[in-house]
Amino acid sequence: MKGKRIKCLGLALCCMASSLFVCGCGASANDGKTEIEIVQYKPEAANYFKTVEDEFNATHDDIHLKISSPNDAMTILKTRFIREDYPDIIGIGGDINYSYFVDAEILADISDYSGLQNINQGYLDIDEALELVPTEGIFAVPYVANAAGILYNRDMFEEHGWQIPENWEELKALCENIKAEGILPFYFGFKDTWTCLAPWNSMAVDLSPADTTKQVNRGETTFSKEYREISEKYLELLNYGPDDPFAYGYNDACTAFARGESAMYPIGSYAAPQILSVNPDLNLDSFVMPANDSKDGNTLNSGVDLQFCVMAECKNKEAAYEVLDFLFADENIQKYIDAQTAIPCKEGDFQLPSILDGMTEYITSGNMKDYQDHYYPSEMAVDAQIQTFLLNKDVDAFLTKFDNDWPRYNRDIIRLVQEYEKQHGNAN
Amino acid sequence: MTKKNANMHTNKVAMVLLILGLSTIIFPLYLTIVIAFKQPSEMTNSISGILSLPQSWSLNNFREAMEVTDFWHSLGNSLLITLVAVGLSIIVHSLMGYALGRNKAKNKFYSFVYLFIVSGMFVPFAILMMPLAKQTAEMGLANWFGVIILYVVFYMPMNVLLYSGYLVNIPMALEEAAKVDGASTWRTYWKIIFPIMRPMHATVAVLTALAVWNDVMTPLVIMAGSGQNTLPLAQLNFQSQFGTNYNLAFASYLLALIPILIFYIICQKQILNGVVNGAVK
Amino acid sequence: MKEVMKNERKRTFLLITIPILALFICFNTIPLIRGVIYSFTNFKGFGKYNWVGFQNYLDLFTDGRVGKSYWFTFKLAIVSTVVTNVISLILALGLNSRIRAKSFFRGAYFLPNILGALVVGYIFNYFFTYILPAAAQMIGLKGLSTSILSNPGVAWIGIMVVCAWQAIAMNTIIYISGLQTVPEDVYEAGGLDGATGWKQFRYLTFPLIIPFFSINMVLCVKNFLMVFDQIMALTKGGPAQSTESISYLIYNNGMSGGQFGFQSANAVVFFIVIVIVSVAQMKFSSSKEEQL
Repeated sequence: MKGKRIKCLGLALCCMASSLFVCGCGASANDGKTEIEIVQYKPEAANYFKTVEDEFNATHDDIHLKISSPNDAMTILKTRFIREDYPDIIGIGGDINYSYFVDAEILADISDYSGLQNINQGYLDIDEALELVPTEGIFAVPYVANAAGILYNRDMFEEHGWQIPENWEELKALCENIKAEGILPFYFGFKDTWTCLAPWNSMAVDLSPADTTKQVNRGETTFSKEYREISEKYLELLNYGPDDPFAYGYNDACTAFARGESAMYPIGSYAAPQILSVNPDLNLDSFVMPANDSKDGNTLNSGVDLQFCVMAECKNKEAAYEVLDFLFADENIQKYIDAQTAIPCKEGDFQLPSILDGMTEYITSGNMKDYQDHYYPSEMAVDAQIQTFLLNKDVDAFLTKFDNDWPRYNRDIIRLVQEYEKQHGNAN
Repeated sequence: MTKKNANMHTNKVAMVLLILGLSTIIFPLYLTIVIAFKQPSEMTNSISGILSLPQSWSLNNFREAMEVTDFWHSLGNSLLITLVAVGLSIIVHSLMGYALGRNKAKNKFYSFVYLFIVSGMFVPFAILMMPLAKQTAEMGLANWFGVIILYVVFYMPMNVLLYSGYLVNIPMALEEAAKVDGASTWRTYWKIIFPIMRPMHATVAVLTALAVWNDVMTPLVIMAGSGQNTLPLAQLNFQSQFGTNYNLAFASYLLALIPILIFYIICQKQILNGVVNGAVK
Repeated sequence: MKEVMKNERKRTFLLITIPILALFICFNTIPLIRGVIYSFTNFKGFGKYNWVGFQNYLDLFTDGRVGKSYWFTFKLAIVSTVVTNVISLILALGLNSRIRAKSFFRGAYFLPNILGALVVGYIFNYFFTYILPAAAQMIGLKGLSTSILSNPGVAWIGIMVVCAWQAIAMNTIIYISGLQTVPEDVYEAGGLDGATGWKQFRYLTFPLIIPFFSINMVLCVKNFLMVFDQIMALTKGGPAQSTESISYLIYNNGMSGGQFGFQSANAVVFFIVIVIVSVAQMKFSSSKEEQL
């Protein structure tokens, strides 16, 4: 009886082991085509990229394209880099990871890619600014951008006759009005710390220089000086939110706002799909965060959401460029921005999603600045520090800690900058 | 005789307490099931909203969840990895537990090996991740087989601890009796010790299967880019920073829960009906 | 004859131990050593890196965040271990007693362990954010009328509850399998001496399942000291960074962030600390075992 069971188990194991090896083969089908592999980091756009992949392969017989859209793509990319198993093209965001990748010299210089001519110069500049120290060459083609500001319930605004505020005083007056009617002006989802950064970023572009962090790295200013106004105004915003904003997460806030529990939600355009999934009939629009005291000082907070980089290890750059050409075809970009409510980085006649109506003026005139948090190292957890600050409401303690922590988490970057400046004089 | 009869009666106090305790499980389970059937547009933040029954009991969420996760394929991968890892763990770890458990009290070497292996339990996976990703790739193990080997290594500390702990309650006399009959140690192990440890095999099987079944990081890191998904890997598709489809995710988690629950129910019979009661005297 | 047998036994044990040990060293010890090497660099996880000597270790001891995470983790681990063991021991006794629908109960109480982190996170977030405050308001409990997960002072209790809720299933299984090793006749003999109820448990049952008690203690301490999933599911380290566990820092800043070298140093120190704690614990409980 016992022996039989063990034998059965052994047999089963053998079967499984052999099936394992059978499955192991047959995966690599290579018929002389150039294989181009893209790993892109937005799993929510997986369907779009699947379509692109199929269309590309149907129309090209010399190149086989493979696009994967894994979740937690950054971990996957990093582990693949460590085992030197590089994809040909990566689709990542314009954030500090991009800065690190440029610094690590694993991206190819694509200055010779012809498609770059059609890209909005503003976004190319944003990418260049992300380089830790000015580096010769271009390393990414921006695909789409997102924007952060304030999303609002258009029907509710029309019903009460509220106007879009254009400066800080008007915003506060609006909130008082909304409050007076017994409606909650803002919803916050501060339990998810990253959402603390959304109002922060969109106020920072209005109130502090775009290159604040770089100035600090060069020792020219301090955060205590540059971020004081933002911090103080952020605390004022809290008065117009729910009683205990730290109890609610991003998902709670999206749901509440979609259900009409608040008139506005200060977040980015990326939240639109989640909000609309709860209430598809919501009439959603957005406006630029009017944190500055005068309208002219206000800027749209917009950064590169997805960009493509060719890896230095890519064997066939020509084929990679052909793939990029296909991705950047107008109709494909249009499909992407429709599906993901994004802003195209390519110049051209695109139909912007309606939820960006209130921001169009800024987009077309190019009046925009990058997210400041794209310069913060994620391990410094600025989002959590802001959450702490909003709980304690102590501006001085927050800013002092910011100034103290910064050199500790950016030690390598600051050294890099200093070395660069020693070599190149004070060029920048 | 009277004693026996008294024992046959249901323990009423235990029953009442168990039923009360059950509410801490029924409630989350109820929420999971209800949410799995709802549409995203039915989600609200109000309590009556979350507790209410879905508008329709359609299986659409389950169908869609199965589509998104490529269910049968991912399930196959998960089953294969789990079953092989559990099978190998039982064989390898019980042997190791036996060798160490029988010798660690009187032999410095075995006692050291025992502590060495058990302390492996406390190595944070994050520190092993990068080196392992590199090492498995160099050894050509960046596939399922590598993942299975890693599981056998990762759960060795816990299982060796369990097996050698169990051995304390199995008297040496049993082995010595077999030895008098001239059986080798190897044979004695398979004929006597291995079957006696059945309740522990079942315990180890449950714990290992559970850990393997739910694990995301190991396959994520080791099989990245291989195009093969396990169920938990595929389930990551439901969540991203800017949006999570809880309804589909919950449906998918309910589906993934069934196989492991069946496995547990089979195993717990083994834990319950252990032969030890008769054997250990 | 006896000598031959002894040698055969010794040889068999060695033949079992050596290959398995080799496998373990290959996939656990060697990568660990490589990780230790990274802890002396400013490696970000990719690209080039420099040696920084003991800089990471020096930083570690001056980093307030790391210190806080140790305090939080140990507080959580100790309380959760006690709560989990008490409840699961009671539960195991209950499930092992004469009850109806035994299989059903055992299956049901196992469920918390298999619900994925996303589900557990969502449901308990909901519970702590909406249901518990509403219930507290209804019965007029002021202290609980806001979400405990949004209060930096008590958020750890919420995490403790979920940790215990999930871990009880596993501990109970181990206790049940331990209770199986207690022979019926022990109770029968004890019954004659008048040992029933608490006395029976204290003097008959418990001493016999002490090996399982120590296993559960070690596993609990291990699981709770390395707590990660529950943190990710419930608070992601918040509010105000009050629930950042050591594993959370190691994973989040080391893997997702660019602090791989520094967090490797953290992991090394953490590993040493846990090993010391557990060895002490095992030594303690094995001396208890011998006493009995």
